[in-house]
Amino acid sequence: MAMIKVENLVKTYQVIQKESGLFGYFKNLVKPKYKEFDAVKGINFSIEEGELVGYIGENGAGKSTTIKMLTGLLTPTSGEVIVNNLKPYKSRIENNKNIGAVFGQKTQLWWDLPVIESFRLIKKMYKIPEGEYRKNLKKFTEILELDELLEKQVKNLSLGQKMRCEIAAAFLHNPKIVYLDEPTIGLDVFVKENIRKFIKEINKEKNVTVILTTHDLKDIEDVCDRIILLDKGQIIYDGSKQKFKDTYGKYVIAEFTVKDKNLNINDNIRIDEIEILEETENQLKLKFKHEETTIVKVMEQISNYCKIEDIHMKEAELEDILKEIYKGAHKC
Amino acid sequence: MLKTMLALAKMQFNQYNIYKSNFYLWTLNRIIEVIVYIFVWQAIYNQTGDAGGFTINQLVTYYILTVSIRPIALFSINSDIAYSIRNGKINKELLNPISYFQYCFGVNLGEMAFALVIGIATFVICSVFWTIILPANLTSFILFLIVIMLGIPLTFFIEVIVGTVGFYSSSIWGMEILKDAIISIFSGIIAPIALFPMWFQKIANILPFKDLIYTPINIWLGQVPTNEIIFVILKQLIWTIILYVIAKIFFNYSIKKITINGG
Repeated sequence: MAMIKVENLVKTYQVIQKESGLFGYFKNLVKPKYKEFDAVKGINFSIEEGELVGYIGENGAGKSTTIKMLTGLLTPTSGEVIVNNLKPYKSRIENNKNIGAVFGQKTQLWWDLPVIESFRLIKKMYKIPEGEYRKNLKKFTEILELDELLEKQVKNLSLGQKMRCEIAAAFLHNPKIVYLDEPTIGLDVFVKENIRKFIKEINKEKNVTVILTTHDLKDIEDVCDRIILLDKGQIIYDGSKQKFKDTYGKYVIAEFTVKDKNLNINDNIRIDEIEILEETENQLKLKFKHEETTIVKVMEQISNYCKIEDIHMKEAELEDILKEIYKGAHKC
Repeated sequence: MLKTMLALAKMQFNQYNIYKSNFYLWTLNRIIEVIVYIFVWQAIYNQTGDAGGFTINQLVTYYILTVSIRPIALFSINSDIAYSIRNGKINKELLNPISYFQYCFGVNLGEMAFALVIGIATFVICSVFWTIILPANLTSFILFLIVIMLGIPLTFFIEVIVGTVGFYSSSIWGMEILKDAIISIFSGIIAPIALFPMWFQKIANILPFKDLIYTPINIWLGQVPTNEIIFVILKQLIWTIILYVIAKIFFNYSIKKITINGG
């Protein structure tokens, strides 16, 4: 039985269309003209218990709208959402007991009070048994390094400290599903790593399902097994992270440091199977596919025009692949 | 459910209690208000020798009590609700495992408790400077407390109704001022209702606001016969149910509208 099942989900917003001029203003007051805007256009997916899913897409792709429908904050225009055998938009409060959520910068901690007070309130609200609460708190404190934070007032915490507490708060009641909407936005590398480690560990231990939306693809790379890629309200990829890379990213990016370049390669010469991404006086950034050529052949070709001093190679990362996909998507 | 609401109330109370200066400044504020009211009425009394059948002692007691228990009637959780709607915090609050209504009521209780502690402090300090008439007997004191307590949910539902307007308008400041003005006049905060013209008193008798402030204070002063108090309580309960139904329908309708149309 799938934990989350989404079928032909559509969400259409009605936006009041503004008309210009004084006349238009009054006309709008009396009889506003609505324009329909499809934020989510009939998506399907199902997520099993314990999956770590990266839900990605550009700004305005419909990610937040989907999350809001999954949590029952929005009613679908058509289609069906079933979360843990419940329809969240019909039985929101029942559904709330099984989920945890972190929405970007909107805090659920009590601003003027020590962090631990907010945790205690959560314990009471969700009726977490004392033993379970202590166990979780101990574990979370350990991984997220909350020791010194618990007695501090929330307003005195830094962004990273606050977010760590926020994440702990979302997992405290052993939810079946946790929605993390941009949990690492604006955080430094160490905090990000800390949070990723936490998500992975808790997932392994409690088999909690995590839906993660983020613009930092390192998060996805590190945490998620599965990617759902959304573009303009439609799913354009849904499958494992590895398959995603294999399908779209079977290429290598190589950066050459060169000397004595006799002409501008990009403008003058077309080398087979190699795409030149960037070119400066002594830098060359190339892209080529594994199956079409090898690094040795590439070097041979390049050395016709310049002297190679240094090479730096890397496998295509998610970010590169995504850029490609978006470029492609925007062309058509 | 009740436990959760009390926990919320405690949180809100502590949140206010963090700032000690809050407490002192509010208390000072209240005392200054009492002083102003009493000076005005003393001036009137000295001129005319009469104030709607009240003795000056009764009036002093009336205003000290009014200022002390006023949070029962005038509250501002409506602006909390409206603010939460406007900045989207409500999305987070709607994901709590209890209904938003219960959540707000819990928070509201905490806030009210804090305001009442200040009320008690005001009362105690004022009792040093002025002679306050004490309740006629224990029964009238208990009835005074009961009527006050019954006012709490009543005010809460009014607050929810006003706050829910925040779904439709991003500025409910005007609504709030209007609400405060109506409650202040009809509850007897500004002046004892007996001083107003007959037609006004008739309206005030129907509306629920009078029983938030005016009636309990009159019970304290021993001006209301015990058998009438039964009717007061009955009237309060009926109004509470009416306002509850209105608040619930209006709020749920608005929430649904938001979840259908998007925020």
